[in-house]
Amino acid sequence: MSTMSRRGFLQNSALVLGGLSLTSLVGCGGQASGGSEGSAPAAAAGAGAKLVEEGKLTCISNMYFPPFEFMDEKTGEAKGFDIELSNAIAEHMGLTANWTSESNQSFDSLVPTIKAGGKADIAIAGMTITEDRKQEVNLSNPYLDSNQSLVIKKGSGETLKTLDSDEKTIAVQAGTTGADWAKENFPKAASAGNIKGLDDIITAMEGVSTGNFNALVTDLPVASYQINENGFDGLEIEEEIPTGEQYGIAVSKDNPQLLDDINAALEAIKQDGTMAKLQKKWFGQEL
Amino acid sequence: MFDKAKARVEARQEARRVPPALDAEVAAAQAHERDKGLTKHSFEPHEHPCVRIEHLMKTFDGETQVLTDVNLTVWPGEVVCVLGPSGSGKSTMLRCINLLETPTAGHILIEDNEITGHLGTREVNKLRQNLGMVFQSFNLFPHLSAKGNVMIGQTKVLKKSKAEAEAEALKQLEAVGLLDRADFKPAQLSGGQQQRVAIARAVAMHPDVLLFDEPTSALDPELVRGVLDVMRDLAENGGMTMIVVTHEMGFAREVADRVVFMEGGVVVEQGKPEDVFDHPQHARTAEFLGSIK
Amino acid sequence: MDARSRSVACTIVLALAFVCALPVQAWGLTTNKATAKPNEDGGSEVIGGLPTRLTWEGTVEEGEKVSSIHLEIPADGSFAESTTKVTALEGLSRAPVESEVSADKNTLTVSFGEPIGEGLLIRLEIYNMTLPSTGGDVVVSGTYQNQDGEQKLKDSDPPIKTIANTPLQSMVNWLDNQEWVKQWNANQFLGMFLKPQLILTSLSSLFPGWLLCLGIVIASYPFAILLGLVFALMKISRHRLVRAIAIIYINTLRGTPLFLQIYIMFFGLPMMNINIDNNVLGIIVMAINSSAYLAEIFRAGIESIPQGQYEAAASLGMGHLQTMVNIILPQTIRRVIPTVTSDFIMAFKDTSLLSSVGVMELMMFSKNLTSVTGNMTPYVTAAIFYLIVTLPLIKVVSTIEKRIAKSERGGGPRPKAKAKKAEVAVVDGQAVGAEPSLVEALSAPFKAGTSVMGGTASVR
Repeated sequence: MSTMSRRGFLQNSALVLGGLSLTSLVGCGGQASGGSEGSAPAAAAGAGAKLVEEGKLTCISNMYFPPFEFMDEKTGEAKGFDIELSNAIAEHMGLTANWTSESNQSFDSLVPTIKAGGKADIAIAGMTITEDRKQEVNLSNPYLDSNQSLVIKKGSGETLKTLDSDEKTIAVQAGTTGADWAKENFPKAASAGNIKGLDDIITAMEGVSTGNFNALVTDLPVASYQINENGFDGLEIEEEIPTGEQYGIAVSKDNPQLLDDINAALEAIKQDGTMAKLQKKWFGQEL
Repeated sequence: MFDKAKARVEARQEARRVPPALDAEVAAAQAHERDKGLTKHSFEPHEHPCVRIEHLMKTFDGETQVLTDVNLTVWPGEVVCVLGPSGSGKSTMLRCINLLETPTAGHILIEDNEITGHLGTREVNKLRQNLGMVFQSFNLFPHLSAKGNVMIGQTKVLKKSKAEAEAEALKQLEAVGLLDRADFKPAQLSGGQQQRVAIARAVAMHPDVLLFDEPTSALDPELVRGVLDVMRDLAENGGMTMIVVTHEMGFAREVADRVVFMEGGVVVEQGKPEDVFDHPQHARTAEFLGSIK
Repeated sequence: MDARSRSVACTIVLALAFVCALPVQAWGLTTNKATAKPNEDGGSEVIGGLPTRLTWEGTVEEGEKVSSIHLEIPADGSFAESTTKVTALEGLSRAPVESEVSADKNTLTVSFGEPIGEGLLIRLEIYNMTLPSTGGDVVVSGTYQNQDGEQKLKDSDPPIKTIANTPLQSMVNWLDNQEWVKQWNANQFLGMFLKPQLILTSLSSLFPGWLLCLGIVIASYPFAILLGLVFALMKISRHRLVRAIAIIYINTLRGTPLFLQIYIMFFGLPMMNINIDNNVLGIIVMAINSSAYLAEIFRAGIESIPQGQYEAAASLGMGHLQTMVNIILPQTIRRVIPTVTSDFIMAFKDTSLLSSVGVMELMMFSKNLTSVTGNMTPYVTAAIFYLIVTLPLIKVVSTIEKRIAKSERGGGPRPKAKAKKAEVAVVDGQAVGAEPSLVEALSAPFKAGTSVMGGTASVR
């Protein structure tokens, strides 16, 4: 286990708490001050997309999802595939991507924050495009394909079959498609309240390593990165679960222009080879 | 820091200069000779003093010398009143007798047994059973009733049965006139009543000597009387050996067998009450008594 | 896993292998599974008659080409208002797929523009459909079209377990249709923090978490008190080593966040191969953490007992232990009850931190529910659950404090005498250390009230 992940936990809770309280404040106060008319400092960028801060594309994410987003061990700086993608998108839009210490939130608070508006322009967090999320916010065109994975402790012998039991506990990240998948496919464990929705996937991995949980379900790229590159070599991927899900960027429904701009930028990034370069850098191959 | 350490070394050197405690027979003879004119106590043949203090010295923090050289003998059944201005060391001397303060040097002997030096906790506790103490601030146990206060020493220390201890407690409370307050908590009693309970608590242990540390100083004037009456009764009818540190001159004059005047950590003068009060030998005594009147 | 269950598992595996080996029927499109997303608010059950998402997966076998799939569920279920997401996967990669979906009551037909070839996984996610409202096991059946015409689909196995609508869910649905509820929820604040439907579901689904919180703190507290007392006595011990141990214990625990202690215990112990049930471990962590705070409370309580009490006990010949047990501790207990109760309140609230390591307590349940619903109401409901316990206790603390203040004010010498007494004390106190305990003994005896303090101050 790396020292980074441990420090990460502590920062996580503090930031999440801060983030949540902010969210709720913004949630009630921001609306009153008029999300659509924009008494908030929303400035026109390029072709009229409203931005929280002029000249900047303010982003939020959950920073415990390597290699998509994580904090640099030493500097605490935001790093990862999504971060660099956001930089590229912002560049195409003539903006700079704005990542600060306040960009880190719990995953399940990202959609409500974007919906409430006022704090961030986009959430880019390895977020799967789902119908449920589309009801709350707009999601960009897919930028990456992903699948789920079942991760267990090496040699524990757990399988999809053995895990659906009221005696097994399965960790997930709260609010993710992995959490949904686990509840749906381990109904016995779910009825026993044994699907544990945690704040971040690193806590879940620690828990599986130490035997607190029998398994965890998370996005396949994250699982393989953590196991192969990031020191969780006591774990193994028991099952690659084909779900064919796709990641999208969340934008407020009040901001259709921004959605269009982002889709255009994504298209351009795919065309000019930047996307392939990013994929190669972070996943060792084009996906 | 350095000065303190130096003072402590000096105090220790000073202590080495104190001669060893006298042999019991020699001491008794000497004390007999010295005290016979100083007290109203009637001596028995070959009587030994029950408290013997020789060259007692006490310093706090190795700096403040409170007792310089105290010599005093108290005889069985004798009532000794200790007078003196504040800071004269009278309370400290009293507290040294039951080792609430540890003497820096010198000797205290109870019934010819030396208590100064290295006594074990068990021996100290044993010693204190025989030395009752009444405090200026009563120090009743607030969570126990008057009766409970008188009982607890008997049951926990003397290991008496509950019934036995209760009978004794009621007897002692009756003696101090508080039988009807037996079940009251200290907070429900007046200061005078509290002090009388404290006396009952001490007496119920049937100690050899009763020590009173300014028992009436914390009381309203109108409550002093009751407490003094109880003490007088103990002295006159109980035949109790008592050492009383007090400012009550009237009580000293009427009840004491001997009055001791202390100042600056030494006994300046002692004698029968009428001698000390009416014909003080030392200027300081006269001055002190004058200031009180 | 014990030997028996292992052998059972082996048997099952063997049996499965045997079943698979049987040439029952050669499917051209093998049904892998059909599952439904739990739609119970705050729960994990699939409720019939309410919208859910059905996921069906099938694999196209060797040499086959599938041009359409026709799914069928029992008559009472409905695809009528559903939308379907069709995904084809080759291994883990998405394959291009063109499809047209038509739904009719309890059947759904997906036709592919280009037939799906061998080896591909077809995934149908059917949103906003309903399963039969009667509950029970639901099997998804149907047919498919391959190059040779219409073939039967293998029934989905295992079946989807569903339950009939619960009374709670019915009430929620009733609320859904009320005009005042709609208006209420239309208000941004009320709808976000006090949504009636969610209050209802939260109350029922948070309840077990609340019980666990209470259980953990109630089970941990006696141990905390005992440990706290031990360390309090150690801290005032005369032996330097004993004192040092107590100081290290107390300061380490008080000087680090409970959150950190929880992580160390929950992740550290298993690494040393010590595996303890999560709830029990929660109790242990809470007990250890509280014990440090209680130790300080007890120590302060013990030290607040005036020196005179020790001297009075000593003058009766009581030993150290006897004095502690009979005189000091009984008085300490009365003094510390309010502080200890406050600490209990803190400990109860702090159980929320255990949610971070997966203990299913109140906070965990409300977090889950909030993440599912994207609404703050479960947190507000959790607040209500916490307050149910803490408010009465806060009241108790203030009542006890008032009573103590009153009993300490009443009794003892009257104020006038206290002023005098203080005078004497101060005069005596000036005799540098001669009678050092006098001022202290007088200014803080058991009847120490404001008047004594006032008296002393006025003399000075």
